[in-house]
Amino acid sequence: MKKIKLISLVLSALLATSVLAGCSSKNNESAGNSQAGVAKDVKITFLNSKGEIQAQMEEAAKAFTKDNPNIQVEVIAAPAGGSPFEKVTSMYASGNAPSLSMLDPGDILKFSDKFLDLTNEKWVADAADKSLDVVKTNDGKVMAFPVTVEGAGIIYNKNVLDKAGVDPKSIKTTKDLEDAFSKVKAQGIAPAAVAPMDWSLAGHLLPVAYATQSKDSKEISKFLDDLKAGKVDLTQNKQFNGVLDTLDVLKKNNIDSKDPLAGTYENDQQYIGSGKVGFWFMGNWAWPQIKDFAGDNSNFGFIPVPVSNNSGDYGNAGIPVGVTKFIGVDKVNNNADQQAAAKKFLEWLVYNKTGQDILVNKANVIPAFKNITLEPNDPLGKSIKSYMSSGNTIQFMTILPPDHWKQVGASMQKYLAGKIDRAGLAKEIQDYWKTIK
Amino acid sequence: MNQEKGFFDKLKTYLVFAGPTTFAFFTVILLPFIFGIYLTFTDWNGISASQSFIGGKNYFAVFQDKAFWSSFLLTLKYVFFTVIITNVLAFLLAYLLTSGIKAQNFFRSGFFTPNLIGGVLLGYIWQFIFSNILVYLGKNFNIPIFSSSWLSNPNKAFWALVIVGVWQYSGYMMIIYIAGFMNVPKDIIEAASIDGANGFRRMISVVLPMMIPSFTVCIFLSLQRTFMVYDVNLSLTKGGPFKSTELISMSVYNKAFLSQQYGVGQAQAFFLFLMVALITIVQVYFSKKMEVEA
Repeated sequence: MKKIKLISLVLSALLATSVLAGCSSKNNESAGNSQAGVAKDVKITFLNSKGEIQAQMEEAAKAFTKDNPNIQVEVIAAPAGGSPFEKVTSMYASGNAPSLSMLDPGDILKFSDKFLDLTNEKWVADAADKSLDVVKTNDGKVMAFPVTVEGAGIIYNKNVLDKAGVDPKSIKTTKDLEDAFSKVKAQGIAPAAVAPMDWSLAGHLLPVAYATQSKDSKEISKFLDDLKAGKVDLTQNKQFNGVLDTLDVLKKNNIDSKDPLAGTYENDQQYIGSGKVGFWFMGNWAWPQIKDFAGDNSNFGFIPVPVSNNSGDYGNAGIPVGVTKFIGVDKVNNNADQQAAAKKFLEWLVYNKTGQDILVNKANVIPAFKNITLEPNDPLGKSIKSYMSSGNTIQFMTILPPDHWKQVGASMQKYLAGKIDRAGLAKEIQDYWKTIK
Repeated sequence: MNQEKGFFDKLKTYLVFAGPTTFAFFTVILLPFIFGIYLTFTDWNGISASQSFIGGKNYFAVFQDKAFWSSFLLTLKYVFFTVIITNVLAFLLAYLLTSGIKAQNFFRSGFFTPNLIGGVLLGYIWQFIFSNILVYLGKNFNIPIFSSSWLSNPNKAFWALVIVGVWQYSGYMMIIYIAGFMNVPKDIIEAASIDGANGFRRMISVVLPMMIPSFTVCIFLSLQRTFMVYDVNLSLTKGGPFKSTELISMSVYNKAFLSQQYGVGQAQAFFLFLMVALITIVQVYFSKKMEVEA
């Protein structure tokens, strides 16, 4: 009997301590006032949701620790293909949130009661114009750090175009694009590849129609509100029809036109890189893979997605460019020391030479900061920079509802495969927007 | 000594032996389940600190959600075909591999192997087969059915899912059926032969009734697994082309985490739980009734 009593005592003691241990991690948030100058060992975690730069981010973490020996940064990779929102949500649910979370722009403000207010950070002043707009709360607090500027458009392989005698700069309308395609076709080369992934069709291609509604971002937001209210008839909308006209031209000249949905991201990278096609609609993030197939050819660039046959119309000269990833700093599960270390890491990325070098030269990131003067060294990044410096950019629609790419993407795939016509597509898109609150 | 013990002594003994398990069961199964049901009555988005009680609105939304019902019907269709084909195939394989053919142990482990490969990996392997290898063969040998990728056609993509599901589960079910075959007492079969029953008669009247327990287990397992399938669905078709192969688990997951309507997703999951529980209980109840004693 005595033994049993002893065992139950030990067990209950164990249980009690484990419960207490569970509480203690929460207590951290208020405790631990960091004192400047006292070098305590701090370990912070960084959730990276740009899989293609995972290795470079780990390198950055190591280099940062070399400069700040008391801070360890652990880089966690978000699962490929999943949304980082999910991962961060589950990490919060388990009380184990990363110190730094890299998220899509539209998700940042959902964490505004969990992320640190970064308004007073040094880098805020150096951020590119308007780049912080989407992560500002209603009362103007900056909630996150812009990681990278990205752009999308119709990528061309200049070597193919030269062979066919096409000057990419001369393509300003849908008609021009069609002419260019027929010239490429005359060389016996398939003119274009259309990636059938939902995230590309509805995440990047269709939003060109939203972004070209107006030069004023407030007008675009109003257009989206009208869509939600069911007040827009897309079949009568000039920009929507313009983008679909271009898609029709792409569709007709698609290398996979027999089975448009069988195309894959990987195959398309090979097509454009090795010159099997002349054009491909995609963004600069595909460069590392294109490069694998391009060999020493670096003659690539972007042209805009034409939205009409009038070369002067808004959108025919500009490609969508915007900040596509932001980093937020947690204040709930991380103590003051960790928060300070996390802020230091962000600052290091912007102002330290090694940090800048890793960001721009190794990770091929186009930074959203004016103080970084390093030029991107890949052709697609250079192309984006030149559009930015000439002011020919349109809004990158990063604030669409989180399931827009998936739901509307399915409708776009149906259109691409010829299962529905334009009126059917317009109806499905309008129906989708009506379900958004 | 047992009679002398009072309630508290019994409780103490219970806590010492079953306490940890009960505690674990409560914390990781029962509490999350109850909390999950509570969440179906809120408008939580998965992250915000506050949530407000909105009553039965989420359930109302579930019944209005056309996409949910179409993927529920698709799942029923998938379950129907996969369960039947898996069990028929597994039964035939088990019959063959207990009839004493050469190298039967080798074949047994061979057919069981797919079950050891994780669903995600398996999906990717088959994705490669369906969209590359078969297309390559189809183009070079002029086989029209393989000339374009199965995964880009809604109907063929559905059958691709069924094929992979059957391929994955039939080995596992085969093992259970083999155990069933080996448990049929030899003396009854012998008695039946002496009475003049031929092979087919013996199968129908002796072996099948004796194997009802195996059927109960196999059908239950395959029902429950195919209803809940997610990994193969994700890696093989991702619900595409254009969401035409989005099975119910994926639909629930997307609702909760992608559309960030956690309450509605949770309500769908709870509805799914009720349906699967109902169907499997009915199935187990009726097949139990059919069991006989030797």
